[in-house]
Amino acid sequence: MTLFLSQLLNGIHVGSIYALIALGYTMVYGIVQLINFAHGDILMLSAYLVVVGITKLGLSPALSVLLSIVVAVVFGVILERVAYRPLRSSPRISSLITAIGVSMLMQNVAQLIFSPNPIPYPITLSVPALNLGGLYLSFTTILTVVLSVGLMFLLQIFVSSTKAGKAMRAVSEDTGTALLMGIHVNRIISLTFAIGSGLAAIGSLLYCIAYPSVAPTLGSLPGIKAFIAAVLGGIGLIPGAMLGGFILGIAESLAKAYISSRMSDAIVYGILIIVLLFKPAGLLGTKTREKV
Amino acid sequence: MRNRRNASLLNFFSLFIIFIILFSFIRSGQMNNYYSNILVTVGISIIMAVSLNITSGLLGQLALGHAGFMSVGAYTAGIITKSLPDMPFAFSLAIALLAGGILAALFGFLIGMPALRLKGDYLAIVTLGFGEIIRVVVENLNITGGAAGLSRITRMSRALAVDKKMSAAIQFGVVFWLMVIVVTITFTLGRSRHGRAILSIRENEIASEAAGIPTTYYKLFAFTLGAFFAGIAGGLYAHQIGLLTPRHFDFNRSIEYLVMVVLGGMGSITGSIVSSAILVSLPEFLRGFADWRMVIYSLTLILMMIFRPSGLLGTKEFSLSKTVHKIQKFLAKKFVRKERKPKLPFVPNYDVWEGKPVLTVENLGIRFGGLVAAENINLHVMNDEIVGLIGPNGAGKTTVFNMLQGVYVPTCGSITLLGKDIVGKSTYEIASSGIARTFQNIRLFKSMTVLENVKVAFHTRMTYSPLSGITRASRYDSEERGIDIRARELLHVFDMDDVADENAASLPYGMQRKLEICRALATNPKVLLLDEPAAGMNPTETAELMDTIRRIRTRFSVAILLIEHDMSLVMGICERIYVLNYGHVIAEGTPEEIASNEEVITAYLGMSNKDNKEDKAC
Repeated sequence: MTLFLSQLLNGIHVGSIYALIALGYTMVYGIVQLINFAHGDILMLSAYLVVVGITKLGLSPALSVLLSIVVAVVFGVILERVAYRPLRSSPRISSLITAIGVSMLMQNVAQLIFSPNPIPYPITLSVPALNLGGLYLSFTTILTVVLSVGLMFLLQIFVSSTKAGKAMRAVSEDTGTALLMGIHVNRIISLTFAIGSGLAAIGSLLYCIAYPSVAPTLGSLPGIKAFIAAVLGGIGLIPGAMLGGFILGIAESLAKAYISSRMSDAIVYGILIIVLLFKPAGLLGTKTREKV
Repeated sequence: MRNRRNASLLNFFSLFIIFIILFSFIRSGQMNNYYSNILVTVGISIIMAVSLNITSGLLGQLALGHAGFMSVGAYTAGIITKSLPDMPFAFSLAIALLAGGILAALFGFLIGMPALRLKGDYLAIVTLGFGEIIRVVVENLNITGGAAGLSRITRMSRALAVDKKMSAAIQFGVVFWLMVIVVTITFTLGRSRHGRAILSIRENEIASEAAGIPTTYYKLFAFTLGAFFAGIAGGLYAHQIGLLTPRHFDFNRSIEYLVMVVLGGMGSITGSIVSSAILVSLPEFLRGFADWRMVIYSLTLILMMIFRPSGLLGTKEFSLSKTVHKIQKFLAKKFVRKERKPKLPFVPNYDVWEGKPVLTVENLGIRFGGLVAAENINLHVMNDEIVGLIGPNGAGKTTVFNMLQGVYVPTCGSITLLGKDIVGKSTYEIASSGIARTFQNIRLFKSMTVLENVKVAFHTRMTYSPLSGITRASRYDSEERGIDIRARELLHVFDMDDVADENAASLPYGMQRKLEICRALATNPKVLLLDEPAAGMNPTETAELMDTIRRIRTRFSVAILLIEHDMSLVMGICERIYVLNYGHVIAEGTPEEIASNEEVITAYLGMSNKDNKEDKAC
């Protein structure tokens, strides 16, 4: 039972990180129908920024994290502007390949600058874990879950009730009509990328505290897992990303504990496939039938 | 004609000469192992890219797990040659390649069956998932050597001949000719009725099904064929490098091949060939800049996409495609048989239905959840009758059409076409048993030519197999020439022969509507359903359309059921009219009866006022 509960806690911990990263995927997808493969690499970028901030620039951890968030936001906006905007009216596969290209470029540039060898993440949290009758609840877990869930609620409120959030939803429903209604579509898309990248930077902090090793390929794995989480929950939906992230995290850590740690990835993919076969638009998505 | 023959012969020989030159270079040692290895890698990549192009380019379904099929082929082939040490290597290699291809095809079939029900990004993710599952499973099996990999697989460059250089040269030959075969098959199949069916699914799946194409079958067929070729490429790869580890076949490798396909142009086979060659050799040329080469590679990729988003060649092909076709035609004429007479498509005899109803609908109804979209609908259409189906927006007219064509399965009631019950049959079966339709919002196969649009709809009346299509057998030849004649005749009836070779998307609106009717008629229907044929037309065009509809009825002896809001058209050509409101038939009769029916006027105007009768056309 203790094993089960501690694995469950682990799952919730990892799951909330996945969910946070998945938000970026899902928002960008919702608004421009692009699978932004470079999203995971923004994690890597912000992790290196924190490393540089602390070890090279001598900034305090808090300041370096702030720096990494700001740079990630700016980077996300520039990325959209330079690489994705010119392709908005092209076939979607072209934007997808561009995103893959950006991802490769970022990883290789990072490799040039920092070498492929992993370096330790300089921020660690050394607060003793709570002992709940043999079950250890670490401070990191509490922080991660609270921060992620809090941010998700804030985002949900932002999207559902602010003017910019409503504009965002309008653009994701129908860009052309949103434009006719006087919404500054380009600005809204930039905003979406900014928010997504900012969340990725925070996700990066939480991820690196859990797995404190920074390498150029750091973003690939959580990136792809988060993306799967987004699809699992129903891509384009914020609550979907949350639900998908938690399910994925929990399934993964339970599979590791009870079935096989090496097969856990296959099990995760298996869950995804089974869900999609029965609910083709994800758990919370509604299937829209093409009108004939 | 003679010039063309000479040209195609020249092409065939140039291919042969390229082979001879490269072969002798490797044989004599002028081209060292390093370069011959690059050539082999290029060949394998071409097979992979072309096979992925079948699913992603021709069929239009984005797949992100192609490396999974490659790994199935690679491991299967590797294990087979390792377990047959006593057999001469050439034999065991042949068996291994074939077995690898077949097992990969089996995987493709099993994965495609559930996965191909999904579309777009969801299909992409599911294929990615399957690809990764294959990798993880391979990593955890004993027979595949686990994470450490399968080592000491006999390498082609060592074992195909006693002499090392000779062996490398033969390796090149094996890969080169297998590549030529794969490319040729993809080409010839792509230009057969089966290829047209696959392309039409990419262009518009709903219209494709309505034109009589069994879309599920063809999606699975294309997916399986792609997996088969990928399996063969995997087998070659295993025996090129001699060591397989699961990491070789991860997501990044799938992406690598996808990049080749997209960069060459989705749907362009020659594009895939050119871009595979470039993308494989580019990093090799950049080896001098070791650290920078991947940066340059990814930058090139991004810039290429931004400045040429549809790839190097778009969907175009080099003329090589035509020449390959011609070579075979030439060889067929030269060595095998005389030209066959064109075989005209089968025309069913509908005369027996003279004076009888061809379509009878009884008590038809459908619910979507709690919503009753149509209920208790009874109607019939006599042989060569023009019947109108009118009603306010949302009355359920198109829903009735969708039930007639099997797009929706009715909750209750019966539909009898030519004496047979068709409820529960799929759209393509209904299309081939005699109901054709046009769509409210035009659904053409946009990037195919006008002539090809029509030819797609002849599919059900042709019989040659994929194999005849690939080998260009005499059946292929006679049937294709037969439908070419018929399709052009059909276009001639609609005065469209001079646009036959233009892209459907480039036609003006009125012509697109006509082409849809033309395509519908190509399935040789007994009942033609027209869904708002006059939508968006001006009065002159509408008048012309009325004339066309009358002409079609006599010329093709079809019964016509049409939905239309333009009352001048409905009142002008329909012999009988059904009026639908809220999913019920509220009136039936001749145009005169309908025009004076109180209930109909109420349904259209919300009140009974004869003075407003003139306005109701709006």
